[in-house]
Amino acid sequence: MLVQFEKVSLNYGENHPVLTDINFALPKGGFYFLTGPSGAGKSSLLRLMCCAEKPNTGRVFLFGHDTSHVARKDLPDIRRQIGVVFQDFRLIPHLTAMENAALPLRLVGTDEDYITRHTRELLEWVGLGKRLDALPAELSGGEQQRVAIARAVVNKPKMLLADEPTGNVDDETAIKLFHLFDELHKMGTAVILATHQQNLVERFNKPALRLKNGHLTSLAAKAA
Amino acid sequence: MALPRSVFSPAFRYQHLSWFFVALVGIMVYVATFATAAEATLSAITLTWDTGVESRLTIEIPAVEDEANMPQIERVRQTLAILKAQPDIALVMPLPDDEAARLLKPWISQPELLKAIALPTLIDVERKTGSSLTAATLQDKLKNVAEDIHVDDHAAWLADMNHLVNGLALMAGLMILLTAVTLIIAVSLICRAIMATEHDTIALLHIIGADDDAIAKTFQYHARRLAGRASMVGFILALISVGILLFFLRRFADPALLQPMHWAGLAASVLVVPLAAIAMAALSARLSALKLLRSMP
Repeated sequence: MLVQFEKVSLNYGENHPVLTDINFALPKGGFYFLTGPSGAGKSSLLRLMCCAEKPNTGRVFLFGHDTSHVARKDLPDIRRQIGVVFQDFRLIPHLTAMENAALPLRLVGTDEDYITRHTRELLEWVGLGKRLDALPAELSGGEQQRVAIARAVVNKPKMLLADEPTGNVDDETAIKLFHLFDELHKMGTAVILATHQQNLVERFNKPALRLKNGHLTSLAAKAA
Repeated sequence: MALPRSVFSPAFRYQHLSWFFVALVGIMVYVATFATAAEATLSAITLTWDTGVESRLTIEIPAVEDEANMPQIERVRQTLAILKAQPDIALVMPLPDDEAARLLKPWISQPELLKAIALPTLIDVERKTGSSLTAATLQDKLKNVAEDIHVDDHAAWLADMNHLVNGLALMAGLMILLTAVTLIIAVSLICRAIMATEHDTIALLHIIGADDDAIAKTFQYHARRLAGRASMVGFILALISVGILLFFLRRFADPALLQPMHWAGLAASVLVVPLAAIAMAALSARLSALKLLRSMP
């Protein structure tokens, strides 16, 4: 199983439930949308999936590991199997496109020749072959998101989480980015993509987890 | 596992506290290097005095105005006889009058005045090694010759001098300790400030799989780099100050006082100061960063 949530609840403060009694299980290798209106809890659900947050109650399993019982020293190993793309890109402003995209490989001490070759190929694949040395401020929103996608998949993760990846780009770029995610999925990476853009969800016809006011209203596993 | 060191470079470069840290390390190294060098110099000087006079006593036989009772020459003769009869005394050396006059010359510069004054007779006495003979015991024995004979024990004022040097060394140590504590606090504050401003970057690094140690090592690298530059400046300024001090010391004091100084040892001990400051800054940065990172998810 890729991800499994068992009776998961998350609160910010005592009287602010964000997610309530979430139960679902997603098999490996799928492509899933995570939909719902703004404030439904999509980002919080993704944060639980990338171990950036711990649930107040319930259990989250990633690749078979119960994340609430994983020792802190083992967390990086689990996180390296997950690629994350954010709505606001989160590129490091003083690093070039190449340096940003190569960060996950440098973290694991990969050979420098391989880093240069593989990152260059990946950036060429996302259409940024001529912007390798550009700083994030010199790139458009769509280009920055492509760098962020390259960074998320550079170390070939098992699962790619994308939180409103098209939120800061125009519709045309959004469709191109969705095609990019679809191609990654076809290459074997499971994709979970959070979006509130219902038109895109319908256009790509993938199973979806729907959230409303912190409750899961339909299950992707069933839909799949 | 290695995180590019440049990830937090701008944060350290533009963090105002970094300048405070640089200034602090510079001052700390300056003070500590200066204190170490001064302490080493004072210790060497005390050692010179120590080895020269610690076993000596000086007998002062005041001049008598009325020589009818017992002439000064007789008082000296009897004193010498008692001194030479003591088994604990190795050497008895009466100080010649011209030597006494030479010693008084800086205070009484006019030769005719010096001749007019009745000078006391001084006798240097060297005790045998391991002797328990004290100034008081000897003075008791000399009372039979004259009540006004005074025995001066050099070990007593040397002990006072040693206390002074030890006190200065302790004060230098406390100053080093105080600045070291301030340095650790400053490093901790800088780490906190940078953790706060770079919270999103650190959260991102965690999410992409960086472990705490890899992030803490970049903090250690930047602290070491900043401390290295500051230490260099503080160290060079301290060496210049010590050089000036030694120059004046040689000019106004007897250069022989500085002869037994172990220059290589002094250089080694002052070199430890900047290296210790750099190591302390780097280690504090790493430990502070690790502590703060562990409080993050």
